[in-house]
Amino acid sequence: MWDGIIIGGGLAGLTAGIRAAERGKQILIISEGAGSLTYSSGALDFGDVGQLLSHEDHPYALLGETVVHAGMEWFQNLFPDYRGSWSEFQEILTPLGAPRKAGIVPRSHNTEPLKNAKVIILMAPYGLKDFFPEIIKTNLLKAYPQCEVEIFPFRTGTFESWHTIGKPVTGMDYTKYWQSQPGVSELKRLLDSLPQTSGETVILFPGLAAAFCEPLKEVLAGTPFPVIEMTSFPPSACGHNLYSALKQKFKSLGGELLTGTGVQSIESHNKVCSRAIVRSKGRPTAFSADSFILATGGIFGGGIEATADTAQETVLGLPLYVPAQWTNSEFLGEQPYARIGIEADRELRPVGPGGKEVLFKNLRVIGRMLAHWDPWTETCGGGVSLATGWFAGNQL
Amino acid sequence: MIYEQDRTENLDACIKCSACTAMCPVAAVNPLFPGPKVLGPDAERFRLEGLQIGAALLNYCSKCRTCEITCPSGVKITEMITRAQENAKLSGSGKNLQSNIRDYLFGRAEYLGKLATILPGLTNTLLRTPLFRQVLEQALGISSEAPLPTYRKKFNPFGEGHKNRKQVVYFPGCFVTYNDPPTGHAITKVLEHNGYEVIVPPFHCCSTPLEGNGYVREAKETAKKNLALMNPYIRAGVPLITGCTSCGTALKEYAGLDVSASELQAYDLFEFLWALHEQSEFRTDFKEVQVSLGYHSSCHLKAQGIGTPSVRLLRLIPGVRVTDLDQGCCGLSGSYGFKKEKYDTAMQIGNPVFERVRHGVANDEFQSVITECGGCQVQIRHGSGTETFHPVWVLMQAYGLE
Ligand SMILES: Cc1cc2nc3c(=O)[nH]c(=O)nc-3n(C[C@H](O)[C@H](O)[C@H](O)COP(=O)(O)OP(=O)(O)OC[C@H]3O[C@@H](n4cnc5c(N)ncnc54)[C@H](O)[C@@H]3O)c2cc1C
Ligand code: SF4
Ligand code: SF4
Repeated sequence: MWDGIIIGGGLAGLTAGIRAAERGKQILIISEGAGSLTYSSGALDFGDVGQLLSHEDHPYALLGETVVHAGMEWFQNLFPDYRGSWSEFQEILTPLGAPRKAGIVPRSHNTEPLKNAKVIILMAPYGLKDFFPEIIKTNLLKAYPQCEVEIFPFRTGTFESWHTIGKPVTGMDYTKYWQSQPGVSELKRLLDSLPQTSGETVILFPGLAAAFCEPLKEVLAGTPFPVIEMTSFPPSACGHNLYSALKQKFKSLGGELLTGTGVQSIESHNKVCSRAIVRSKGRPTAFSADSFILATGGIFGGGIEATADTAQETVLGLPLYVPAQWTNSEFLGEQPYARIGIEADRELRPVGPGGKEVLFKNLRVIGRMLAHWDPWTETCGGGVSLATGWFAGNQL
Repeated sequence: MIYEQDRTENLDACIKCSACTAMCPVAAVNPLFPGPKVLGPDAERFRLEGLQIGAALLNYCSKCRTCEITCPSGVKITEMITRAQENAKLSGSGKNLQSNIRDYLFGRAEYLGKLATILPGLTNTLLRTPLFRQVLEQALGISSEAPLPTYRKKFNPFGEGHKNRKQVVYFPGCFVTYNDPPTGHAITKVLEHNGYEVIVPPFHCCSTPLEGNGYVREAKETAKKNLALMNPYIRAGVPLITGCTSCGTALKEYAGLDVSASELQAYDLFEFLWALHEQSEFRTDFKEVQVSLGYHSSCHLKAQGIGTPSVRLLRLIPGVRVTDLDQGCCGLSGSYGFKKEKYDTAMQIGNPVFERVRHGVANDEFQSVITECGGCQVQIRHGSGTETFHPVWVLMQAYGLE
């Protein structure tokens, strides 16, 4: 009944879904959970694309430069709140205030204004969990030695009862508040109350997440000084907002998203998948489609089940590439298990051992399910999910 | 033993990332609610040792399952909380006499309905009298501001009675039976229009309210009574249909009681109609209906894991535009939002839904809201001031059956 069914609704699955729905396809995404965007920084890392293109089996190399580039362009047209450039990295701040490079970032995270700043005012919301202003200050002074850094502590009435009982306020809680009507007014009042200094002051505001929130963006645009944000430790409001934006986009294009339960198996004959069998309440439900996309997120997403000595793809039992040596003792070094995944051809269809035989003609594998890449050492998690998702949605 | 082992393993899966608590709609608005991480995996550790922690707080969980969907490690948080609630209930902690009486009543929507519909006019007048509502609040802890539904003359399933070779059993549920009989008639007519004889045995409440208010044993007994009434039809392979998503969840959970999952053909109304459509047996002799609607998916529909068949089906009708509101729980959660200590929390939980509806109406995206759940209809109307109704009414219009 559907043109395409996508199993897994993380960054890769949603990207594929939006791209296909934009092209007029009827798409159903079935996703057990909400994916890993809520744990990511909200920025999309592409890594050193030029270099990764030359790694023979890397997903970038399967797709080629044109496709990776097209994915990046497409994303920015889709979400103008994000900015990236093919030719240069963007710079953002880690949760500890150190600058780092990334591919596509929320506009409000870009550190550009800090380069010419003389004074950085670090807003310090009272009781914010996993927020270390003194360490951030030290890191900022190191990265921007021309600056003075002032910490500006403040508290808002809303969380008083939380403070009284000693409950920490997460960045997500603060963000939800800022995005509400009273929050927007309070933010305006707060920013207006800051000392009016010369044009070389920049405000650094943790726990804000303005992307996709029109009223917040309006307040920030009306201030006399640039306000920039920083990434946070998981769970991250910024990553979560990107997830919500993708979900809304997909639904507004007529896509259907079934969350909370997963696909237990896929029926097929003659190498053609026909129906996804969903673990629904009481008895399984079958959904039929012409094409399928597997975007179940690897080990972290639940698409690969790994124990100390075996690894298994959970929906179709597809063969996996497993590196000879699983774990590496070298701390922070390369972890070979990161490269576990499904090997695919240039159309991202799964292939058997040796790489010749296409196992299913109408199934594509994307995102973290693919073999031969490592988001941690290559910092290309967002880029691979976006490029493979865009491609699969474009071909469907 | 295996069960205990599962419990421990599921517990160890928790990586303490707090994402569940960050996304919990109750924790966001009620600082006293410690949230799913603490009440789920954290407290479970103590519960396995036999210690009951925070029993009174467990009841604030609205069972929306947002935490479970968010958890990257597949920790069955809501299940843990529900089981802990049941145990706390058995050991008698966490409730006072007042909330016991109230939860007893809310658990028995069927008796409430039977009482109220003897003289629906009087009941409604009373329910709209501020003084009476104050009394309810003081005596029973039922919030005086909560949007208690209006009672009508009881649903009378007879009168249509077309005989046909193809049959379905219709489970109306308490909301249709006591508060919204016209929707029950509409569902009957739509099924008849598609060539089915609609059979309605004298069912009891589906048992969801009992379970939601912590009466687990009674819930099972009621379920068994209903199963006995269904039994001859189940044996004959007649599908069982309901238009209420809470009843639907409960009916599907009957599988495993006195009937096997493969025998029990329980369907949500639109799930059933969509299945007909896939077999080209669904009538699409539609008239054009020019209408824009916002769709709210109830928590109990999400729990069924069947997607949103009503949206799919209504989009087949020429002229109908449906926008999925894509929001979480409306806050009512059965009878949760009727309780005085939870009314404010419930309204705050539902606020994103209400704001989305107001925004949509103000921007001409849609004029009214459809949702299968009677409780959601009442709460969203109350919170947003916008008209709400069951999606079957759009089909009625398209078929020209109104
Ligand atoms: C902790 C963490 C931090 C990260 N930080 C960054 C960062 O800073 N920058 C960056 O660029 N990238 C980052 N990434 C990587 C990037 O987010 C990933 O590349 C990307 O999210 C992977 O997307 P995916 O869609 O393949 O998988 P996921 O997002 O994991 O989605 C997979 C989905 O499939 C569902 N699923 C699994 N099995 C089934 C089934 N049987 N049926 C139905 N559904 C199923 C899961 O519930 C899940 O929702 C991070 C990842 C993690 C885990
Ligand atoms: S089920 Fe809903 S209300 Fe209960 S703890 Fe989980 S997220 Fe919170
Ligand atoms: S989301 Fe899951 S893993 Fe994270 S704290 Fe909650 S239960 Fe633990």
